[in-house]
Amino acid sequence: MLLRCLAVIFLCLALPCTALAATEIEISSPGEQTIPLGLTKLLSEQGTRADRIADEFDEVLNADLDLSGLFRFVDPQSFLDDAGRVGLFSNQVNFPQWRLLGAETLIKGTYHLDGDNLVVEGRLFDVVNRRLLTGRRYVGQPKDIRRMAHAFADLVLKALTGEEGPFSSRIAYISNQTGDKELWLMDVDGKRPLRLTNHRSIVLNPDFSPRGKEILFTSYRANNPDLYRKEIYTGKEAKLSYQPGLNVAGRMSPDEREVALTLSKDGNPEIYLISTSGRIRKRITDSWGIDSDPSWSPDGGNIAFVSNRQGNPHVFIADIFTGKTTRLTTRGKYNATPAWSPKGDRIAFTRQESGRFDIYTIKSDGTDERRLTFGPGNSEHPRWSPDGRFIVYSSDKDGNRAVYVMRADGTGSRRLTSLESDCRHPAWSPRW
Amino acid sequence: MSVVPLHQINSFHKDPKFGRLLLVSLVVHVLIWAAFTGGWFGSGTRPKPPVYYVDLIHKPVLNPQAGRPDPRPKKKQQAAPVKKSVATPVAPKAATKPEVKPLAKPTKPAKPKPVPKPVPKPGQRQEKKVQSAIDEIRQRQAREAERDALKDKLAKLRESVGAAATVPADVPVGMPDGTGDEAGVSALAFVQAFIQQNWALSPYLLDRSRIANIEAKAVLAYSSAGTLVRYRIDTPSGDPQFDDSLKKAIIKSQQLPQPLPKDLELVVIFNLKEMAAIRR
Repeated sequence: MLLRCLAVIFLCLALPCTALAATEIEISSPGEQTIPLGLTKLLSEQGTRADRIADEFDEVLNADLDLSGLFRFVDPQSFLDDAGRVGLFSNQVNFPQWRLLGAETLIKGTYHLDGDNLVVEGRLFDVVNRRLLTGRRYVGQPKDIRRMAHAFADLVLKALTGEEGPFSSRIAYISNQTGDKELWLMDVDGKRPLRLTNHRSIVLNPDFSPRGKEILFTSYRANNPDLYRKEIYTGKEAKLSYQPGLNVAGRMSPDEREVALTLSKDGNPEIYLISTSGRIRKRITDSWGIDSDPSWSPDGGNIAFVSNRQGNPHVFIADIFTGKTTRLTTRGKYNATPAWSPKGDRIAFTRQESGRFDIYTIKSDGTDERRLTFGPGNSEHPRWSPDGRFIVYSSDKDGNRAVYVMRADGTGSRRLTSLESDCRHPAWSPRW
Repeated sequence: MSVVPLHQINSFHKDPKFGRLLLVSLVVHVLIWAAFTGGWFGSGTRPKPPVYYVDLIHKPVLNPQAGRPDPRPKKKQQAAPVKKSVATPVAPKAATKPEVKPLAKPTKPAKPKPVPKPVPKPGQRQEKKVQSAIDEIRQRQAREAERDALKDKLAKLRESVGAAATVPADVPVGMPDGTGDEAGVSALAFVQAFIQQNWALSPYLLDRSRIANIEAKAVLAYSSAGTLVRYRIDTPSGDPQFDDSLKKAIIKSQQLPQPLPKDLELVVIFNLKEMAAIRR
């Protein structure tokens, strides 16, 4: 009897297990490699229609998020009535309606004018889980609407990736818009250009200090290529290095205590370290070849530079402390302008092939080389965004030389400056 | 104003150059016609493309059929129809085939048998025996030739009619596990495709170095009505963006558009191997 009972219990337990035996399936790629986003226009809380504010905010946010490559925008033509509703709380949003449109994330926002001040509120919602992901209120002048949109785009990226975007930072570049090559500053989308120097000479090779308060550049103002430093907010300017010969390609160390640059005071261009007051501290390279274009590793322990010591110009890495030098690139006849990524894993550089310069990246151990640009014309001077997601560079692929930006994998390239003037040597500021 | 007289116009046709022109034009037209009809390029011998059977019934089933005939030969079932097709319609045709003719010819001299010869001499008898033996051999050869011709014909028929039997194994078909006997889509593949379709993840959300190795395992239980009864993430990947994306995919897949043949409990492994291979 007992045995029979045990057998019945065993069967009762075993049968459902066999009936519901789990089968294993593997999904090795998402069906969609972008996040479907419903991006609605700002709505006025006061019921007034100031379309210019909403349009400008929408234009900037759309361009920034599109450049990120993260999103697929749900067609605004298909939006239903919730896109026209002001409510910014989770319980006021009609999530099923957005699910119906295929959106996974939703951006809604409002604005109102408080006297002379403009108040903008933006919200990012998770449509699937029906929850608020992030949101912020911005107060400023109506002319600040672009900055507000850039700041909100940074916030959206932070909420989704854990790392803030670079859209509030700025890009320095050299332009001959006034007839002379001067230093200019613009937004990441190429808008609001601002001239920083008036040397009426040749200015080149700008670079930001790691905290973004100063810019280093070389100018022929005193008929010699001297290195200058300039405070961005106060406009104060001073010569930093004025050795005889070249004082070019100054790059401030990550701790802002030293500047690496190329000096040719002894005849042959070599890499040196100088203090922030201009005193020479250390000679990094010592070879018969030309050594130039230093770029700091993010940890400040190494410098990538270009040298023709073994024949053709190639990228080398020098250890600051031991002085040991290793060759990074082995292919191509002309490799130049290395730029170490902020995360330290890759180095961008240009290489001449078939008489044309293109941009490449390579791991700092010399492996996994990737070509990023393939278009017509020369693409040069690559520099990384502070988050390492994008690369800014100059190219003459559309005729005149202009500044372009692309994702770090070479996709999504877009022109930032007009073709009316020659724009080159871009440098991306750190986050402010 | 001068008018060309009619007799002059008629004289154009008598001109030998006109005749040559007409001939050249005719030849060119014939050549163009021949080129386009493919006579010169041997288009008539082009192999027929394999025929696929596309199942348009969008119904998940447990034992789906393949999108093409089973390439593995089923011995018992195949043997019968092949014999049938050879025996009835093909055999008479084969007899009239030109391949058989030259071998069958030697049987002809056997027809006018010189049997009623008046006086059979002993030497003639032996000759007759030899002759009959030779005839027998020739007949046997003819029969064998006929059999060979039939075999060839059969092989050709197999090639043309049973194209599926010659389809290479790696040709893509509708369902990867379609070896069953039900018209429809594999339930597992259906659920897999539906979840994958609902899974949205941008590679820019992840660290590039992690893409090749990231993996998470989830257990999903669907009722036969196609409703997600319960789910749990058994082994999360550790990357919040990745784990969040697959949770969303599961939530979006909580109701399948079609019922299932039975309750299903699935272990779903999410990874980015395919994406990593493409972006490498």
